[in-house]
Amino acid sequence: MRVVLAEDLYLLRDGMTLLLRTHGFDIVAAVDNGPDLLDALLTQRPDVAVVDVRLPPTNTDEGLQAALAARREIPALPVLILSQHVEQLYARELLADGAGAVGYLLKDRVLNADQFVDAVNRVADGGTVIDPEVIAKLLSPARTATGRLASLTPRERDVLAEMAQGRSNAAIGQKLFLSESAVGKHIASIFGKLDLTPSDDDNRRVLAVLAYLNG
Amino acid sequence: MRLDAVRGVASYPVLGALVGPPPATETVRMNTLRSVATAPIRGLVLGALAVPVVAQFVLTLVMWGPAFLLSLILAIPPPIEAGRALMNVWRRLIGALAGVDIEVPYRPPPPRPQPDADGGYTYRDRIYKTDRMPWLFRRIEAWGEDPANGRDLFWTLTYPLVAAPLALIPAALILTGVVAPVLGYPLWTVTVAAPGIAAGPALVRLSGAWSRHYLGPVPPRVQTRKVARKRWVERNGLILVRCAALGGLGLLAVPLLAFSLAAFALGFGLGMVFLIPTAVEHFRWLANLRRGLARDWSGTPIAVPYRPPVEPELRADGRYRVGRQLFKSERMARFDARFSQVWRDPAVGRDLLWLILDPIVGAGAALLPVVMVCYGLWAWTVAAVMALFGFPHDDWYGAVAGNVVAAIPAGLALTAAGIWLARRVLPWHGRWTALLLRPTKATVLSQRVERLTQTRADAIDEQALEIRRIERDLHDGAQARLIAVGLTLGAIERLLDSDPDAARQLVAQARETSAAALAELRDLVRGIHPPVLSERGLGDAVRALALDAGTPVTVTVDLPGRPPAPVESAVYFAVSEVLTNAVKHAGATAIAIDLGHRAGTLRVAVRDDGRGGADPGRGTGLAGIERRLGTFDGTIAVHSPPGGPTEVTLEVPCALSSPKTSTSSATG
Repeated sequence: MRVVLAEDLYLLRDGMTLLLRTHGFDIVAAVDNGPDLLDALLTQRPDVAVVDVRLPPTNTDEGLQAALAARREIPALPVLILSQHVEQLYARELLADGAGAVGYLLKDRVLNADQFVDAVNRVADGGTVIDPEVIAKLLSPARTATGRLASLTPRERDVLAEMAQGRSNAAIGQKLFLSESAVGKHIASIFGKLDLTPSDDDNRRVLAVLAYLNG
Repeated sequence: MRLDAVRGVASYPVLGALVGPPPATETVRMNTLRSVATAPIRGLVLGALAVPVVAQFVLTLVMWGPAFLLSLILAIPPPIEAGRALMNVWRRLIGALAGVDIEVPYRPPPPRPQPDADGGYTYRDRIYKTDRMPWLFRRIEAWGEDPANGRDLFWTLTYPLVAAPLALIPAALILTGVVAPVLGYPLWTVTVAAPGIAAGPALVRLSGAWSRHYLGPVPPRVQTRKVARKRWVERNGLILVRCAALGGLGLLAVPLLAFSLAAFALGFGLGMVFLIPTAVEHFRWLANLRRGLARDWSGTPIAVPYRPPVEPELRADGRYRVGRQLFKSERMARFDARFSQVWRDPAVGRDLLWLILDPIVGAGAALLPVVMVCYGLWAWTVAAVMALFGFPHDDWYGAVAGNVVAAIPAGLALTAAGIWLARRVLPWHGRWTALLLRPTKATVLSQRVERLTQTRADAIDEQALEIRRIERDLHDGAQARLIAVGLTLGAIERLLDSDPDAARQLVAQARETSAAALAELRDLVRGIHPPVLSERGLGDAVRALALDAGTPVTVTVDLPGRPPAPVESAVYFAVSEVLTNAVKHAGATAIAIDLGHRAGTLRVAVRDDGRGGADPGRGTGLAGIERRLGTFDGTIAVHSPPGGPTEVTLEVPCALSSPKTSTSSATG
């Protein structure tokens, strides 16, 4: 699997290159700034990009902007964004096009290699992976009491939270001690309550997560 | 269809059918004849109506007696209701007699009060058991607002004087014509009676039209003219009243000055020095009042210039130091500080000078237009009119240079000039007040220095506290956890060969500890300078805050560039604090944040629908924001009536840097 990696700190870039290589990924480009990243994404067209939000030369959200720009050129280009901090604001912007194939994780998650590699694979497959820390903020009682999520049962909310982290039905069932068919029923009910018309299933999962983020 | 319609309009029979059958010439002549023949009689009846109308007027006054003389509000409705019924009889009668259509002008009565949830009836600040009194009050209120009442009364009073005589003219002329031959003027029969007969219908109609004007609804033209006239009178009247008030306050300075002079005399003459500070301070309420009025009435804001007295400094030996003087008691030290202020504060001397000059300059200017209007109106115009009726007058009262008639236009001209002048005197008066009552440049500068010293001290304190907090957090948190990770790694090294299972457990533990250290560092960084602020700027950082608030928050941002980083940071933390307060303490369910930059000032307004009652003097949070913003000359204003809504406004003067590049986003 061909990967473009963008990280400005040499140690981290090196470490992540090593980590991904040992798990059988093919690093086609490892860049350290925004313009190079955009260039690599557009010319290499990787299967997945792993991108740090903050990159030179501006040291603002250069990485995020380059990824978003590339996704405007190549729709649904799989991008996993890494950051020292997570913001709902950024998660919304990433999910806004509704195309999926998006990940948004804290850099800390790299420490757990298996989970991190799993996340990269899921994003490459078109899934959506949102950091548990973003999900936790969404679970505040005030938020769930109002808005569109108020109609969901607590169980459905749990399923949606797991879904937002990119888990498959089987994985959700395992985590919540449910049968896979029960998970399917919950998800169908969530789609119904959030008015998501039956279309491409993956796309509906993204839209459900987006609805979740928008409260 | 279309063709038919066109033809229909064009052809006469159809058009004729639309406007009704043309009246037969015969009928018209009959109508005219009847109208001419009956006009004198109808006029007579209209004239005779004057008698019951006068009776009604007298009766109304008699019935109003108990209501107004004895304050019996229960006696108010009967005369009005009975009077209205009678007035409607006049309307119909006069309408029929004079051939005019008089509409009933009364506004519909107010609805009967509805009981509250607990069965009582509320009116203003009271709850009543039955709806009797509240309904009475409401009706009286409605009558008071209905212009028809006053017009009815005016009509009752003037009908016998205007409309009735007018209607009587035809009958009177004909009667004269009939009687004239008997008295020996046979020709008058024709010359007097004929116009009486001919003009009869017109005169009767005219009388009816006059009644209709006052008995019918207020014509819209009269309405707008009346409103405009009322506004003009109110506005100019207000200006004159303000001039008079300023003049009065100016004259009030005279006794206050006398008091000051007496205090000086006693203070310096008899050595009663304790009176000296009082002598220069006792009239500050007046000066401050005038500063406020200059702002409200003349549009000239004037800052309060007084410098605070030096704070006595308590020394190690228990004595208080003021300048180079030492005092045993704090009271004496404070008095000395206040006393030396008399010589040190330039505002003291300027205040005194103002106290001396204002009764002459300020009061003189303010009273001039008032005197002009009063003199022109009363001493010339009204007195001259009265002089025409034989009242006495002299050279200055009711006459100009001995000429009574000239006094009327001269009086009106003087009044008009007074009104014209009043409007110009008010702003001038504000400038005069500012001349002596505003702080001197030196005072403004010294106040500024004081404020800067204060805010700098605050900023340094704040910074020191912040650094201490960061140091403690690092020391107790991340640093300690990294040590733990190091220790765990050491243990792993030892166990690797002997007990690989235990080593694996320790690896997991080390990873958890390092993750916790990272989380702590992340929180710490967020507290020092939130990353989203440096990545996206204030607008998006506030949007991110809003998303994390857990309550629906709408954010509008209108920033054409980025404020300086320290301002951004201070405002960000201030908004964060305000938002937390709104969610936690006010129980808000909807919050709106408005960020904008206008006229060199960054302005953030946070409105919530919570329970309000926030007191900026209490909570340490708001005081902290105030100190933090104070470093940048920023301010925080809290408007929070009990029951809400709360509006907090932060303002920081600052310039914006280059136009924003990529911070716009569709979210938020």
